[in-house]
Amino acid sequence: MRRYVLKRVVQTILTAWFTVTVVFVLLRLAPGDPAVSYAPPNPSSEQLEAIRREFGLDQPLLSQYWTFLTHLLHGDVGQSFQFRQSALTVVLERLPYTITLAVAAIVITAVLAIPLGVWMARRANTAGELGANIATIAGQSMPDFWIGFVLLIVFAVNLQWFPSSGFTSISSLVLPTLTIVVLQVALISRLVRREMSVNLNASYVTIARSRGVSERRLTWRYAFSNSAIPVVTALGTRFAAMLNGVVIVEVVFRWPGVGQLVVDALERRDLPVIQATVLVTVLLALFVQLAVDLIYPLLDPRVRLGEGAR
Amino acid sequence: MAVLTVSDLVVELITPRGVIRAVDGVSFDIDAGETVTIIGESGSGKSTTAMALLRLLPDDLAVISGSAQIDGQDVVGTRKHIGGIRGRSVALIPQDPMTALNPIATIGQQMVEAIRHAHGSLSKAQARERALELLRQVHLSAPERRVKSYPHELSGGMLQRVLIAMALSTEPRLIVADEPTSALDVTVQAGILDLLLEMQERTGVAVLLITHDLGVARLMSDRIHVMHRGRFVEDGDVEQVVDNPQHEYTRNLLAAIPELGAWDDPEDPDHPDYIDPVAETAAPATDPAAEPAAPTTRPEQAGIPATKGGPRP
Repeated sequence: MRRYVLKRVVQTILTAWFTVTVVFVLLRLAPGDPAVSYAPPNPSSEQLEAIRREFGLDQPLLSQYWTFLTHLLHGDVGQSFQFRQSALTVVLERLPYTITLAVAAIVITAVLAIPLGVWMARRANTAGELGANIATIAGQSMPDFWIGFVLLIVFAVNLQWFPSSGFTSISSLVLPTLTIVVLQVALISRLVRREMSVNLNASYVTIARSRGVSERRLTWRYAFSNSAIPVVTALGTRFAAMLNGVVIVEVVFRWPGVGQLVVDALERRDLPVIQATVLVTVLLALFVQLAVDLIYPLLDPRVRLGEGAR
Repeated sequence: MAVLTVSDLVVELITPRGVIRAVDGVSFDIDAGETVTIIGESGSGKSTTAMALLRLLPDDLAVISGSAQIDGQDVVGTRKHIGGIRGRSVALIPQDPMTALNPIATIGQQMVEAIRHAHGSLSKAQARERALELLRQVHLSAPERRVKSYPHELSGGMLQRVLIAMALSTEPRLIVADEPTSALDVTVQAGILDLLLEMQERTGVAVLLITHDLGVARLMSDRIHVMHRGRFVEDGDVEQVVDNPQHEYTRNLLAAIPELGAWDDPEDPDHPDYIDPVAETAAPATDPAAEPAAPTTRPEQAGIPATKGGPRP
């Protein structure tokens, strides 16, 4: 077990290093000059040169990378070009907003999608299930920006039940969360339904039924418990993805999270902020994946972590 | 009074290719302490008969008519009684023990669940005691350790012993044994059959045995019904059916089992009729008597009941 965790930590560090390196190189290969964004209008070449020197962009790529890595080892991801402060601080200030949104979305998704999927599996081939099927296919087909705008128009503009943008109070959370939840519930409930159908028709369920085990128990203790691993995996993966910033939803609702931050940073070519965002969110995502993997043996006694690796 | 009475049972399966009459009007009964066997090839409707009596076929895919009583309670006309009978007066010993238990619950948990379903007054601790006692009765080694094991940690033979113990735990009047040894190694089969005989001797339970194996039928049964394409084509005492088969299908079935006939196998190189497949380039001649008549419909393979709520794209 300790071996396994150690292996995973090393893997995590390597993955984070690889991702950050790719982003570092790609950002510098991309066309456009960051200096232009921070220079006064119609800058002279001396002015641009001065800005580049200040940001360290005048150095050759390899030496920029070397500086970046050595600073990274000391926990320094560089100074934000636009905020003139540590890029890491900038990211960490925004992170709680994204985490709040992601946690709210994933909790509500689980609470809605699991019962819905179970219900669909139990009601397979009935009119009710057909209706739920159509609804979930619709939910998973609608683009999230569109759902976001519809919710904005109906609930923020017309009904004025919820604020339309930014974060002012807890009610600001409702519309962005709902926008994410529509798609995620559609996806997860269909996964739950698929897994449940397989398990409800498995022979151990039929044989337990022959022993007089109640349908409720067959559904939850038998079929659902056996469907838990793929469902937890999917929820974990979705949650990790949301931590990377739910970019479109954050932009639509002007949510002050890392998704919004990274879009602004890209527009302004604030390279250190982009790098810091990627680093932080990759580490978070990997941490969530590790947590999910550590849950597996609790859900299924057949899973032994790290075995077969020897 | 008979423990199981079946008269004119019809089971129609609704498949994508139309309605298949898998069981076409069968009647039989079983008294306490008696073993009655339904024998037939796969697709003959024998397992469908058993599953229909336990009402384990999904209502939207199987239509059941006729009449049947388990322990005097109607199980065909209504679903009302079967819920109270299952896991109390009737128990099932399944075909494949490896897939018959919940993979994520321990043997002990599942036995306690079964015991407490049948005997609601027992506490968990008492039920655990009873589980150990039953596992000892089915000659499972180290029962104290096995109750803490998960199904994947036991072999097929051990699991079948556990399932027999679970069936017995409810003190049933009728046990339905659906091919109880088909999925097991030949070396393990004899032990399980011995155990079933021993249990029946002790408890006087009635057994409905489903098998395709005449050897098993001969060892276990008092009476046997030969099933072919949903009907009983021959009934009677085991010896009578085996020694003096009246129906052609039974004769084919007997001919298909080498152990029971004389050693007269044309595929044996020492046999006078043997055709060397290497020397003879044409397809080797087949002896029609060596092959059971091929059924035109095979309901057990027509996707029932696995089609129910299957994954959809």
